[in-house]
Amino acid sequence: MKLFDKYNRLNITATILTFVVGSCAFYFLINYILLRQLDESLKTEQQEIVSFVNKHDALPEITPTKDQYIQFNANKGDEIKIKNEFLTLKKKHEKEEENYRELQFVVKAGDKHYTVLVDKPLEETEALLQVIIGVTIAMIAIILLVGYLINRTVIRRLWKPFYLTIDQVKNYHLADQSDLKLENSEIDEFSLLNQSINEMTERIQKDYGSLKNFTGQAAHEMQTPLAVIRTKLDTLIQNETVLEKNAQHIVDIEKAVQRLSRLHQSLLLLTKVENRQFQLNEELRLDNIIRDKCAEYSEMAESLNLNFSLQIDHVTIKFHHHLAEILINNLLNNAIRYNKAGGGIEICLTHNNLSITNTSETGQLDAKNLFKRFYRGQNSEDGTGLGLSIVKQICDLADYTIEYQYVNSRHDFTIHFNRG
Amino acid sequence: MKILIVEDEPALNKSMADYLSSQQYLCESVNNFKDALEKIELYQYDCIVLDLMLPGGNGLQLLEALKKANKTDGVIIISAKNELDDKIKGISLGADDYLTKPFHLSELSVRIAAIIRRKNLQGSNQLIFEEIGIDVQARTVSINKTPIVLTRKEYELLLYFIINKNRVLSKNTIAEHLWGDDMDMADNYDFIYAHIKNLRKKLLAAGAGDYIQSVYGMGYKFALR
Repeated sequence: MKLFDKYNRLNITATILTFVVGSCAFYFLINYILLRQLDESLKTEQQEIVSFVNKHDALPEITPTKDQYIQFNANKGDEIKIKNEFLTLKKKHEKEEENYRELQFVVKAGDKHYTVLVDKPLEETEALLQVIIGVTIAMIAIILLVGYLINRTVIRRLWKPFYLTIDQVKNYHLADQSDLKLENSEIDEFSLLNQSINEMTERIQKDYGSLKNFTGQAAHEMQTPLAVIRTKLDTLIQNETVLEKNAQHIVDIEKAVQRLSRLHQSLLLLTKVENRQFQLNEELRLDNIIRDKCAEYSEMAESLNLNFSLQIDHVTIKFHHHLAEILINNLLNNAIRYNKAGGGIEICLTHNNLSITNTSETGQLDAKNLFKRFYRGQNSEDGTGLGLSIVKQICDLADYTIEYQYVNSRHDFTIHFNRG
Repeated sequence: MKILIVEDEPALNKSMADYLSSQQYLCESVNNFKDALEKIELYQYDCIVLDLMLPGGNGLQLLEALKKANKTDGVIIISAKNELDDKIKGISLGADDYLTKPFHLSELSVRIAAIIRRKNLQGSNQLIFEEIGIDVQARTVSINKTPIVLTRKEYELLLYFIINKNRVLSKNTIAEHLWGDDMDMADNYDFIYAHIKNLRKKLLAAGAGDYIQSVYGMGYKFALR
């Protein structure tokens, strides 16, 4: 739910609740005041009648008016049961039964006691109440509507800098090496947000820079000792007596150095791809790259009696030359390495996807972990365990999707180019 | 042939100097920027082996100094940084080749030989080992002046062997030289064996001696018996 909607929901609920409670209170208050006024006028009437009776010792003559009815009832005996009392009741003075406010009291004229009933119709009061309630409801509706419209237009506009910031943050890439320059807004909160984000990215950018430097330096620091080991090993090999006694040790050391150096190169490459330090802006003929790589691997494939089958269209992609080579190289390398003698490799390239399929004896691979760093299937202790994660990272960089399938005891890797 | 080795790691510097000296090169070693600059300004070298990160300065500045002085010394950069930018920058500043650490000494010597051949146009293009002659310009091989036909890989293999003659070369080194280090084939060196077998067969058939010796199953050596 959007903040705006959430706020609106709360706001409208609270407003309606307040208005309902307020209206009820208002209704009762108005009702009470109107009744009091009516009662006052009834009392005035009573005083007039009483003073008339006291003066003349006779009942006044009744002139019936539309908003006041007076009635004298002679009491039987001397009952003076009824004291001053206000009542609201229904009565029929004219054609229809209506609500009246009535004051009953007793006067004594001559020797007789009379109960006096003064009635005033409630109709006007009710009409007034209705008008007041109507106006109130209309006002609630108008206030809600206006509030809603203001919120819609004004709040949208007020939040604009916020969404602008979000957009900029979304499109921000650390690897671009540019600072995020967020404008200050008139609103303090947004300015604070922008300022904090600016400061944060600056800090991250700095850390990222030093990390990058660190990887570069680490490469230097590690490759040099590796180079020393390798060159010393080359020299050691020249010593026949050493070699004669330690051939296997030397071969093992050489393999380990080889693997270490390869591992190191792969990790550096992976980091660089993950940090998006490559720009994919070269128009490349992918079919040519595949053909070149196949030619490079042809001798190795021959030594394993592997059969290549190519179905390659003329395909151009926007890519980085070095990365494209690595991508094809790693997939092809795996396809050969984990193949079986006398097996086959099928490469199929179309405008929309590339699939590399190879026969194998390893059985289905764990598709979930296949692309993770240092994942290794069975019988593959010699690989770096990084080949496929590099492939995956390169695909991610280019917004390609890569899929693994195991069909008819063949491994199939398909890359979808996801063209518009 | 004079070679200047600019490398701050003493062990590596010594290895390279020893290896190259054994191949009849005259080697001088320096281990910092200042000394390197001095040597470069004073003398002429056939090839300079240049590390980029040096105490006292960057190797690229040395390249600039060479360029400014209109010197034509061959330069091979050896760097731990396998950064494309550095490679391009180095080459554009006049370096002839770029080798990433860690490298094999045999690979270094082949690259140096290639650079020197390219620079010494007035010199001989012939590389001779006993009865085998290689014309490196025309990329042809002859035995006792009779040309023989080799595939590209066989030619490269023979050139590599002759430049690194009398040296034990591990299978791994040979594979890396012929196919580059992208190819990660671990234990599978059968395809190298096939090339070596074919090369030996062709050389023997043309009347050359059997110079390719297998060494304890770990590699090969090209030498007189």
